[in-house]
Amino acid sequence: MAVNLTELSLPQLEGLKTQLEQETEFLTSSIGQLKVVQTKYVEAKDSLSVLNKNNAGKQLLVPLTSSMYVPGTLNDVEHVLVDVGTGYYVEKDVNDTKEFFKRKIDFLTKQMEKIQPALQEKHGMKQAVIEVMNIKIQQLQSQQASQSGATKA
Amino acid sequence: MAEAIQKKLQSELEKYQQMQKDVSKSMSARQKLEAQLTENNIVKEELDLLDSENTVYKLIGPVLVKQDLEEAKATVAKRLQYINGEIQRYETLLKDMEKKSDQHREVLSSLQQEYQKAQGRAVGKV
Repeated sequence: MAVNLTELSLPQLEGLKTQLEQETEFLTSSIGQLKVVQTKYVEAKDSLSVLNKNNAGKQLLVPLTSSMYVPGTLNDVEHVLVDVGTGYYVEKDVNDTKEFFKRKIDFLTKQMEKIQPALQEKHGMKQAVIEVMNIKIQQLQSQQASQSGATKA
Repeated sequence: MAEAIQKKLQSELEKYQQMQKDVSKSMSARQKLEAQLTENNIVKEELDLLDSENTVYKLIGPVLVKQDLEEAKATVAKRLQYINGEIQRYETLLKDMEKKSDQHREVLSSLQQEYQKAQGRAVGKV
């Protein structure tokens, strides 16, 4: 780092600390959001396993609302409709869909792997700033103590 | 003397704050565009993986409407072009604003010095 932390004043360090805190918070929440989305994709991928030849033609209950179901039969076990983003839905067969979810999950894993080192770096920097702040505060306190001691004497 | 400068300083400061507000507004607009760009790029990638066997639907309100794959691809491509153009526009806008606010900051600091000097003189007279 180009700036020497020990040369900064306490308010500057305080500002730096808040900034780093905000950044770590932002990165942590980003990772959290990515994880939530990834879980959704994993669940969707798992639920695809119900769509196999053995289950074709079976009876099932379709939720019309969260509290009302109607009976139905599983007609097509080969095709599903996938939301690919910005309002576009694509009809795919089950295998393609599994691959689609796998792609998405891998993509999210990669994004999280990208964020992780940045988060660690920020965290380390925050820790360093806090340490320097503590040292400065101690110095200040001992200075004050010796001053008041001098005036008493 | 000092009062006049103070008034000027205040109005300049307000102008500067307004400018900062505009800058942050443009920044968030740019960020939104960036997010849209990413989403549309993902959609484009998905559409490129499809062949003519896949049926594409577009969600319009609550209904899904069947759409031609080529047409969907063209729409997304056009959208990407538009978003890229907008990002570029915001980029130049932001650069311009930054330059202006830099200049403004200089004006402010010189005004501040003037004000302090004027104040010092006023105190000296008393």
